[in-house]
Amino acid sequence: METRQQGSILFSAILVLIALLVVIQLWLVAAALDALVSRQFAVLVPTAAASGALFMLSGGLLWYVVSYDARLRQWGPRA
Amino acid sequence: MADERPRWREDFPVRWDEDNYMTRRELAKFLTLGSGLLASVNLLIAFIGLTGRTPAPPVRRIAAADEVAPGGSLLFRYPTDDDPCILVRDAAGRLDAFSQVCTHLSCAVVHRPGDDVLACPCHKGSFSAREGLPLAGPPTRRLPRIVIERRGADLVATGVEV
Repeated sequence: METRQQGSILFSAILVLIALLVVIQLWLVAAALDALVSRQFAVLVPTAAASGALFMLSGGLLWYVVSYDARLRQWGPRA
Repeated sequence: MADERPRWREDFPVRWDEDNYMTRRELAKFLTLGSGLLASVNLLIAFIGLTGRTPAPPVRRIAAADEVAPGGSLLFRYPTDDDPCILVRDAAGRLDAFSQVCTHLSCAVVHRPGDDVLACPCHKGSFSAREGLPLAGPPTRRLPRIVIERRGADLVATGVEV
């Protein structure tokens, strides 16, 4: 399999993973709002921390895939 | 059949299909941006929750200790005049107090003495009059319990347990 094709599959997989992380973050926002309205303040900090961690993970995945792409462009495809 | 394409399209050949095309890389960046926005919203919610807490609830007299007959109930307001609550005394004389606001869509619950149930007439929800737990209907969260104490001949409310 060519490196470019591998990269394409990797990119698709990472894209799906980032989308999944965003869905989890949507759920976290809904849970945090629910906790805020029902005055369960102990839930708010863990949800915010989890959401921040998911954002870092998403950013890390994006950075990885962009740098992978840049490396590929710099060195060219290898068979 | 005449060509129906307007002439200006020849002068301004914008390819809308290409213009609206979004690459996977752009989608990934868009999703990550959305992820950042959601994380910011979550932080904002936590900030509001931690800084906007109301002060400790006041101690307020509800009623005289013998004002509610066994099997009866009494309406009062706590911690502010905008928060309706209900005090219930069961047949054995046990006293329990809860917020009167249904946790489904905020209708006022009423006491059904025979069943020891707090019923919401709007959507037929019901709660246990002893624990405040939802028994039937749409509500899924318990009613906030009002902490009450007997001080001399009076019943006083001292806090709210969510």
